[in-house]
Amino acid sequence: MDINSRPLGRRDFLRGSLAAAALAATGSLAACATSGTGTTSQSSAPAGQVSDTNPFGVKSPSTVDAVIFNGGYGIDYADFAAKQVEAKQSGVTVKVTPTTKVAQTLQPRFVAGNPPDVIDNSGAGLIGINTIRDQLAELTDVIEAKNYEGMVIKDTLYPGVTNPGTFDGKFIVLNYALTVYAIWYSASLFEQMGWTVPKTYDEMLALGEKAKGKGKYLLGWGKEAATYYQTMAIGSAIKEGGDEVRLALENLKPDCWSLPPIQDVFNGLKKIIDAGYVKPGGSGTQFTAAQAQWSDAEQFILYPSGGWIENEMKKQTKSGFKMTGAPEPTVSSNSKMPWEALHSTAGEGYIVPSQGKNVAGGKEFLRAMLSKDAAVNFAKTKLSSTIVKGTVPADGFGSTALQSQIKMLEAAGSNIFSWNFVDLYGMNTDQLVVWNSFLSGDADVAKLTKGLQDITDKVANDDSIKKVQVS
Amino acid sequence: MTTLASGGLTSGVSAPPGGLRRIGSARWRRRNLTFDKISFFLIFLVIPVAFYIGFVVSPFVQAAYFSLTDWTGFTPAMNFIGLSNYAKLFTDSTFLQAMGNNILMAIVVPIVTLGLAMFFATLVTVGGSTRGNVKGLRNSSFYRVISFFPYVIPAIVIGLIWSQIYDPSAGLLNGILTRLGLEQFTSFAWLGDPRTARWAVMFVIIWGLVGFYMVLFIAAIKGVPAEVFEAARIDGAGRFRTAISITIPLIRENVQTAFIYIGILALDAFVYMAALEPGGGPDNTTLVMAQQLFTTAFTKGQFGYACAMGVVLAVVTLAYAGLVFLVNRIFGGKSEVGE
Repeated sequence: MDINSRPLGRRDFLRGSLAAAALAATGSLAACATSGTGTTSQSSAPAGQVSDTNPFGVKSPSTVDAVIFNGGYGIDYADFAAKQVEAKQSGVTVKVTPTTKVAQTLQPRFVAGNPPDVIDNSGAGLIGINTIRDQLAELTDVIEAKNYEGMVIKDTLYPGVTNPGTFDGKFIVLNYALTVYAIWYSASLFEQMGWTVPKTYDEMLALGEKAKGKGKYLLGWGKEAATYYQTMAIGSAIKEGGDEVRLALENLKPDCWSLPPIQDVFNGLKKIIDAGYVKPGGSGTQFTAAQAQWSDAEQFILYPSGGWIENEMKKQTKSGFKMTGAPEPTVSSNSKMPWEALHSTAGEGYIVPSQGKNVAGGKEFLRAMLSKDAAVNFAKTKLSSTIVKGTVPADGFGSTALQSQIKMLEAAGSNIFSWNFVDLYGMNTDQLVVWNSFLSGDADVAKLTKGLQDITDKVANDDSIKKVQVS
Repeated sequence: MTTLASGGLTSGVSAPPGGLRRIGSARWRRRNLTFDKISFFLIFLVIPVAFYIGFVVSPFVQAAYFSLTDWTGFTPAMNFIGLSNYAKLFTDSTFLQAMGNNILMAIVVPIVTLGLAMFFATLVTVGGSTRGNVKGLRNSSFYRVISFFPYVIPAIVIGLIWSQIYDPSAGLLNGILTRLGLEQFTSFAWLGDPRTARWAVMFVIIWGLVGFYMVLFIAAIKGVPAEVFEAARIDGAGRFRTAISITIPLIRENVQTAFIYIGILALDAFVYMAALEPGGGPDNTTLVMAQQLFTTAFTKGQFGYACAMGVVLAVVTLAYAGLVFLVNRIFGGKSEVGE
C-alpha cells in the first residue's frame, strides 16, 4: 500500500478538502443570511373587553409570549409575574422563555415579523434599541393604567425612571430594575482605619496616600469593565458642570469631551493614576477577578460600579465587609449640582414589539410586574430595588448595600440624572480600549480625550445611524 | 516501518482509480437512460447539488446581496445602497486594523505551528538512532499522545485556561517569573499590554494546535516507504538534510493542506479571542475581523455593513488559499516526487 500509486484520488481529496475548508471559513458570511423573507401581516387587534381590571383588553383565551434575559436576576421574578397575570386574567396563559443572547435569539423573529409579546432586552447581547425603536409599542398607557392594588402606576414610581426609556418623546422601554451608580467601599474597613469617603478628586488623591501607607491601592479595574471609570467620570462631570455637559455628550457634539468639567475630572483621575494608587495589571485581569481583589482580598478600597455589584460578588465578598455606596465625587466644592446628586437609571429594559401577536397581553405582563407584590418579591429576592417606590424596608432585607442605595436616593431628591448615548449607539466596546490604556497609565489625558472624541465623531458623522435628539 | 498504518489512512479518502473518467466515454453518450441510471443521478447528483445550492450557495449570495444594503438586521425592510458599505469599510480604521491583525496572524501562526509540528514529527518518526532500522526517538509513541492532548480540549476552554495563566496578579506565569526573581513582571498584564498581547494570544493558538498537525505529519511521513530514508542515510544524509530534501518534498501536499487549514483558522480566530480578548485587546492589537463583524451586526445593528465585512473576510480567505497554492507551485509542486 503506497500512497504514490493513486495520484488522482489523492489530488481530488486535496482539492475537496480545500473547497471544504474555504467554505467552512466563509461560514461567518453565511451567518448573515436570513431564513427567508418576512411576512408583513399586521398583528391582530385585541378583541378583549377593555375594563378597569383589564385596561388593555387582553383577549381570553390567549397566550402571552415573554422572552426574558436570564442573567444576574434570573427569570424566577418573571415567572412570579406570569402567575399573577394568569390569576388575574382567566383564560390567559403566559409562556416565559429564558435566553442569554437576546439579539441573536430574536433577530430572525423580528425579521419574520413574528416577535414575542414582551421582551426583557438586557445583558451584553441586547438588541440596540436604536435598531428597533420604530417597531415598538408605546408604553404610556401602561403607566397610566391602575395597578393590581388600584393605584395609578405612574404615581407609584420613583421620579425620572421613564426618562431612559423615552426616545424622541416616545416612552417605549420600561426599565424595571432601579440602578444606582456609586463608589462602593467596605464600611467596616473605613471605620477600622478611620477613613472617610472622598467627596472630591483631591480628597480621593489624599485617601490614596493613606491607603498606600496601609499597603493597599485606592482603585482597581478589570479589562471588560474599564468603562466603569468612564461612567464615574461622566457622572462627576455632570455634577460639576450641570446639564449642559450631559446634553453635549448625549447629542454627540463636536469637542464634547474637551469641555472643562470633563477635562477636570480626567486630570483628577490622571493624578491618581500617576501617583501609583491604581492597582496595576487591570487591563489583563478578568473583571470579576478584579472585583474580588476589592471585595474579598481588599487589595484596593474603592470601586465605581452600579448597584448590582453586591449581588454579582455575593459569593466572593469577605464576611463583615459591609458593602456601602457613596455618590460619585465632584471636582470642586462649588459644583453646579450638590455632591448628593446621583447618577441613577433603570435597567432591565422591557419592550413590547408592536408587531407581536398579543400586544395587550405583553402590556398586561408589565402591569403585573409593576404590582406591589411583584415589586416587593423582586426587591426581596434580588436585593435590588425596582422602579416601584416603597418596596424596600429600612433594614434593606439585611443588606447594607441596598440600605445605602435607598439612603442615597432619598438624599438626592430630584437631583437624579442619567444618560443613554453609550448604550444607544453601542460605543462601549470601542471605549473600553481607550479606558484600558488610560487606566494602565499608557495614555495621557489628551490621548484619552482624542480617543473618546473619535468614537463619538464616528457615530455623529455616520448618516446611516439614526440619532436621538436629547433636550 | 509501519506501512499498514499508512494504508489505513489513505484508503478511506481515495476514489477508485479512473472511476470518474468513465462518465465521459462513448457508452455514456448513447443516452440509454435506464431507471438505474436516473435514480443514480437523482440520488448522487441532483439531491446533493440541490442541498448544496439551498444551504451553501444561496446563503452566500444572499449575504453578498445584503452587503449592498443598509439592512439593520431586525426588519424585513432594507434599502439598496450600492457599494457604499465597502467604501465605508476601507476607510474604517478599526476594521482595517483588525484585517492587519488577521493577516499578521495568518503569516505567523501557520509558519511557527507547522515548523514546530514538522520538527517534532520528524523526531518521532525518523529522528531516532542512526543504527539499524529508520525509527523515531525512544518512547516516541508516548510523546505523540502527550502532544495531542491540547487538541482534545475545546478551543474555548483553552482560551479560558490561558486567560487565568496570564492573569497579572494571580496567574501562573507571573507567579513563576516573580519567583525566579524577575520583579518587573509583578502584575504585568500580558493580555493588557499592547507590546505583548498579540504574541501572547498567538502563543495560545500555536500551543493548542501543534499536537494536531504533528500527528497529521506523522501519518504522512509513515506513508513514505522506509527504503527512501534508508537510501538517503546510506548516501550519507544527516537528520536535517533528510528532513529538508526527503521528508518535506515527499509530504508536500499534506503540508499545503495543513497550511490552508491553519491559515483559515488564523483568519477567523474568533473562539480564542472571545475567551482571551473579548474587547479587542489593548489598543485593538488583537481585534480580529470576525469579532468586529459580530459587534457590528448584533451590538450596533448594522447587518448590511457586517455582511460587507463577511464578504471581505471570505475574499481574504480565498486569496490566502490561492497564495498557498501559488507558492507551492512556484517551488515545483507538480514536478516533484510527491505526485
